[in-house]
Amino acid sequence: MDILSNLVLSWGDPWLIFLTAAGTLAGIYVGAIPGLSVTMATSILISFTFKWQVNEALALIVGVFMGGVYGGSRTAILLNIPGAPSAIATAIEGYPMAQKGEAGEAIGLTTIMSVFGGFVGIIALALFAPVISNFAIMFNSRDYLLLGLIGILLVGTLSGESFAKGAFAGALGVLIGMVGLDPMTAEGRFTFGSVTLMGGIPYVAAMIGFFGVAEGLVQLHNLDLPAVKQKIDRIIPKFSDVKKHFWLAMRASGIGTIIGALPGTGGDIAALLAYDDAKRMTKNPEVPFGEGAKEGLIAPEAANNAAVGGSFIPMLTLGIPGDAVTAVIIGALFIHGLKPGPLLLIETPHLFWFIVGNLALANIFLLIFGLSGIKVFTKIVECPKAILIPLIFVLSAVGTYAIQNNPSHVYWMLGFGVFGYFLKTYNYQVGPVILGVILGPMMDSNYRRAMIGARGDVGTFFWDFVSHPISLILSIAFLLMMISQTPLWPFLKRIIGRQGKQT
Amino acid sequence: MSKEENLIRKPGEIVFSIFLTVFSVTAFWQAFAISGFTGLSTAGIFPMLASLAMIVCSLIITKDVFAKQPHKMSGFASSLNEILPITLIYMIVLISAYLLAMPIIGFVFSSAAFLFLSFSILWKKPIWLSALLAIFSLAIIYFIFRTIFQVVLPQGSLIQGSILQGQF
Repeated sequence: MDILSNLVLSWGDPWLIFLTAAGTLAGIYVGAIPGLSVTMATSILISFTFKWQVNEALALIVGVFMGGVYGGSRTAILLNIPGAPSAIATAIEGYPMAQKGEAGEAIGLTTIMSVFGGFVGIIALALFAPVISNFAIMFNSRDYLLLGLIGILLVGTLSGESFAKGAFAGALGVLIGMVGLDPMTAEGRFTFGSVTLMGGIPYVAAMIGFFGVAEGLVQLHNLDLPAVKQKIDRIIPKFSDVKKHFWLAMRASGIGTIIGALPGTGGDIAALLAYDDAKRMTKNPEVPFGEGAKEGLIAPEAANNAAVGGSFIPMLTLGIPGDAVTAVIIGALFIHGLKPGPLLLIETPHLFWFIVGNLALANIFLLIFGLSGIKVFTKIVECPKAILIPLIFVLSAVGTYAIQNNPSHVYWMLGFGVFGYFLKTYNYQVGPVILGVILGPMMDSNYRRAMIGARGDVGTFFWDFVSHPISLILSIAFLLMMISQTPLWPFLKRIIGRQGKQT
Repeated sequence: MSKEENLIRKPGEIVFSIFLTVFSVTAFWQAFAISGFTGLSTAGIFPMLASLAMIVCSLIITKDVFAKQPHKMSGFASSLNEILPITLIYMIVLISAYLLAMPIIGFVFSSAAFLFLSFSILWKKPIWLSALLAIFSLAIIYFIFRTIFQVVLPQGSLIQGSILQGQF
């Protein structure tokens, strides 16, 4: 009974309902505006909600989180600019649909599937939090290392013209993430004696540069093209489409929840994994992948919203953030005097159930706002590029500046923007760079922890990868990916074939 | 991008891939300088692995680029126009000037100037319309960020903050 009353606490209080609704609506727009990240919005919200009651602050923040993860898909579909990294895969299929005049259908389908995925994640959070935490607690350093490598390889193989370009971009990102003082030994890495570089390269500036400024510069080539007129006539998706892809959405939501629950991996990787999975599982898509396949739109969107619920699992049960946003939310809980971790469910169970109920409420508002505000929203697309591009640059500058009020960050943003322009021009993907920047430091510290655990012995180090069940499964997944995605396999086949002929 | 287009080399593609290779080698050299081969769990190992992967990849990419057919563009000027058209150079210069001016003259004035100039270069509509649009869009951005998100925007070292706050 206690559980139920806490679960619906925010459903009966008009003020909490209003805060959740406002948060969700704001989240959709924050997520949609390139350069504005949910992480940033959450951190700013925390700075002026810390005097509020914890329930009120959480209602607003949970709403922004839920809305923001979904909002990224809007600009991905309409402008080919993922509003957030979790919408990178959405842009691959969503933008071609918009170009064909099917933007309304794409957004409608995205909304339904996001809400669907969101509920799957929330139900999983409520049901499996204790179970999944028991599973995740067994993860070792080397498992995180493997997860990071798989993540970067996945995003590298997604849509690039060659694997080498994708892998190069991923490795470049890792390198960018390494700049600064080493967190384990405080040695400077690539700092060249500069104090500014010791703090590392601000990755949000890199992200805004690569996705905001570089995209704006690329779009300058298309200035004279008439603005894409979007006929948004069908917002509610066809029931047959929803029914047909139900199991795909279910699978994707499952992937999203599990990936979201893994510490350190959030909606970004969940969306990419689900997209890759959908690409392999769909035998005969109506439209080929990369040209507007609905399957490729549904999977990442269901997955990234499912990852929201999932990402709360490690945060609330272990005190480990599931992704960047939950890392910020952990900070908020600390400010309010709460201790996220194994004891949270025992000491303050009401808080856990309040969050679950509030996530569900935010998800309902997502459905309402997602299906109603599209016509107003698409006006942005009908706006000529000549107006839109300068505005993107200004928003990018403000967004970068807002994080730490540091003017030097905007120069990083510009530098990455111009470099990103050349990368894009020569068909390199910038997605893997960002993933590398985020995952690089995590992989580095986990590699070193695993190596120290093996006492620096290479044999023990590699033996650990195959002698533990979880590591073995991840190692096999990693090797399969390496063999199937790189020229390694044809190369090996040729060598084996040659030896066969000789004998 | 179609398969056929991918077989034709773009102007400057060789230069760019060689640049990336040189960059990767430099990065490896710098990564080696962090801690050398003194241990398997030192600070320099992962940067070395990453830059090694970059070297391998960039060599493969460069090899592929040389295998492509040369582009049919004649002359340096037209090649440059394909990759870096004059509008793009204008915009990069304009953005650089904007970002440099922002800490000096403040967000409001630098953004107003930037929006007005870039609208008039790109939009090709009457000047007064560009000016009107610049003011209108700036007002919306300022309201959203300053009032709703409470972002502290640079006020500029030349202008006193109090004057600006009085205006808005």
